Amino acid sequence: MSATPLLELRGIDKSFGPVQVLRDVAFAAHAGEVTALVGDNGAGKSTLVKCISGIHPTDAGEFLFDGSPVAIHSPRDAAALGIEVVYQDLALCDNLDIVQNMFLGREKRNGIVLDEPTMEQMAAETLAGLSVRTVKSLRQHVSSLSGGQRQTVAIAKAVLWNSRLVILDEPTAALGVAQTAQVLELVRRLADNGLAVVLISHNMNDVFAVSDRVAALYLGQMVAQVKTTDITHAQVVELITAGRSGGLGLTGEPGQGGNGTGTGTGEQPAGSTAGGDR
Amino acid sequence: MPPGPSQEEIRRQNLGALLRHVHVHGATSRAELTTALGLNRSTIGALTADLAAAGLVSEGAPKETGRAGRPSPVVRPESTRIHAYAYSIEVDRLRAARVGLGGVVLDRRELDRPRGLLVAEAAPLLAGAVKEMQQQVPGDPVCVGIGVAVCGMVRRDDGLVRLAPTTGWVDEPVGAALGAELGADVPVTVRNVADVAAFAEHARGVAAGCDNVVYLYGDVGVGAGIIAGGRRVTGHGGYGGEVGHMKVVRDGERCECGSRGCWETQIGEHGLLRNAGRSDAQGREALLAVFDAADRGDARAGAAVRQAGDWLGFGVANLVNIFNPEMVIFGGTMRDLYLAAAAQIRSRLNANALPACLEHVRLRTPKLGDDAALIGAAELAFERLLADPLDNG
Repeated sequence: MSATPLLELRGIDKSFGPVQVLRDVAFAAHAGEVTALVGDNGAGKSTLVKCISGIHPTDAGEFLFDGSPVAIHSPRDAAALGIEVVYQDLALCDNLDIVQNMFLGREKRNGIVLDEPTMEQMAAETLAGLSVRTVKSLRQHVSSLSGGQRQTVAIAKAVLWNSRLVILDEPTAALGVAQTAQVLELVRRLADNGLAVVLISHNMNDVFAVSDRVAALYLGQMVAQVKTTDITHAQVVELITAGRSGGLGLTGEPGQGGNGTGTGTGEQPAGSTAGGDR
Repeated sequence: MPPGPSQEEIRRQNLGALLRHVHVHGATSRAELTTALGLNRSTIGALTADLAAAGLVSEGAPKETGRAGRPSPVVRPESTRIHAYAYSIEVDRLRAARVGLGGVVLDRRELDRPRGLLVAEAAPLLAGAVKEMQQQVPGDPVCVGIGVAVCGMVRRDDGLVRLAPTTGWVDEPVGAALGAELGADVPVTVRNVADVAAFAEHARGVAAGCDNVVYLYGDVGVGAGIIAGGRRVTGHGGYGGEVGHMKVVRDGERCECGSRGCWETQIGEHGLLRNAGRSDAQGREALLAVFDAADRGDARAGAAVRQAGDWLGFGVANLVNIFNPEMVIFGGTMRDLYLAAAAQIRSRLNANALPACLEHVRLRTPKLGDDAALIGAAELAFERLLADPLDNG
């Protein structure tokens, strides 16, 4: 609940050739909070995430990290700031065990040999810190894990590197009820441990179960960024599908409204937003 | 003017504070204890020596800090030696565990409980489980007490369980029965499961550091463990927190308590299964099957889950308005319902609760999971030790 967002984006523009994908997007993620990023297919969620993680350069706009301007030109820059992304495909290697996966490409060395005890201990501590009890052995191959366990390993891998902002792309998309529940609890715990978490999801239950704020993208524009306590299910669905809901979202004709109410801090006067379902 | 506390009282207080710190936070270096308790180094040293002599803590090799200076010895709770027995009497099962100082579950047993089993029949089963565990304990263990979590209303003074509609007991002396069964030379403390779970989450779970908490625990019915201003709110006789019997529908569905329109007729097991068209099923598995069916697109199950979610938000909004908690925890079957219907719950809560009360409320699921009842029951037993460590040691 810090006043300064850990990550703040202002006026982000991004075009692929003639197609403008992001228009004047403002976005903020706070430490200790889960910010849900919602939007229809093609709204620009993935592009925004790729801009944050340094895969795509932006055309315009500024990045503030911890209140000071930064430039993110590559995934390496993002990782150096402590930004980690868990993509939908998880990017785990089936033929390696949990520890090997968590340290893949960033192995700890002791002289010329790998420092297996340290890596195993760090992996164990990370999983314990997240209260993960579902994984039996750290030397299990990832191929033997369930979908929920894989997601857990992928998330733990992102947390391992003293990361400060973790972006999760649809972490529950392919999971059953029980595993979804575990992953959602894990997502919440990340934020409660002090990280800033961005959760991309199409599932309104997931959004409402764990998020503190909801940021809605509509056709490349950030139409609203509000606290989850100030919004209802129906309003979020309207924002996703129509870009507006009551006093929230785009004003005037679509396409002219610019950034609507998506101000940097996302604060809304309570009266203007809480009335939806009364 | 009353006289100030005597030296003896101060020492007892400090011993308790130190033991409580390592009990809650685990192994702690003396240097950290000095900072955390605000006592000077030699006092911490003397207190630790006293507790170590009583066999409650041990001092071990320091952690490698990698910093300059003489490393400070680490104080650990004697978890394997000092322990309490914890029971959880639930609707469908009986659980017993040996819990060490520091809140570690050392050993556990679980038994099925046919619905309607009387306490007179349950007590020997639980006692049997404990005797089995006792035989396997190595060394010279010290049992400091027995804590029991029961799904029912419990009279605080003597552990009499009154009207537990969901388990079918009316006025059963659980505490006395268990004490007699074990030939107990140790105190038995009995409390409602929601109170106990709230206590555990407050002590070492998701609500650590939160002084205003509502813990909703669901099995067949729904109860709440309420902590207000850092204290458990259990009412005059200890029966408080029966939020499941909050009336939400005038002349509504008949509840097992004999009344009508109780909240748990909408969000409890029976209501949810009824609305999903599965009235003939019962138990947590049946409930989870409904959530699973809803997730897979079963329209009737989905509607039932959404409706229950809406009602859950409705009642939570009332609780939030009354208690203004900083955290609401959804435990037992309420955890599953919360995660399956959060959109409905949140939406209804946001629409119904007063904005000022809603502002800082966090909705969480338990960190200790199903173990909260056992760990909390053990905490009850440890309370006496922590209040006066050397008396029991």
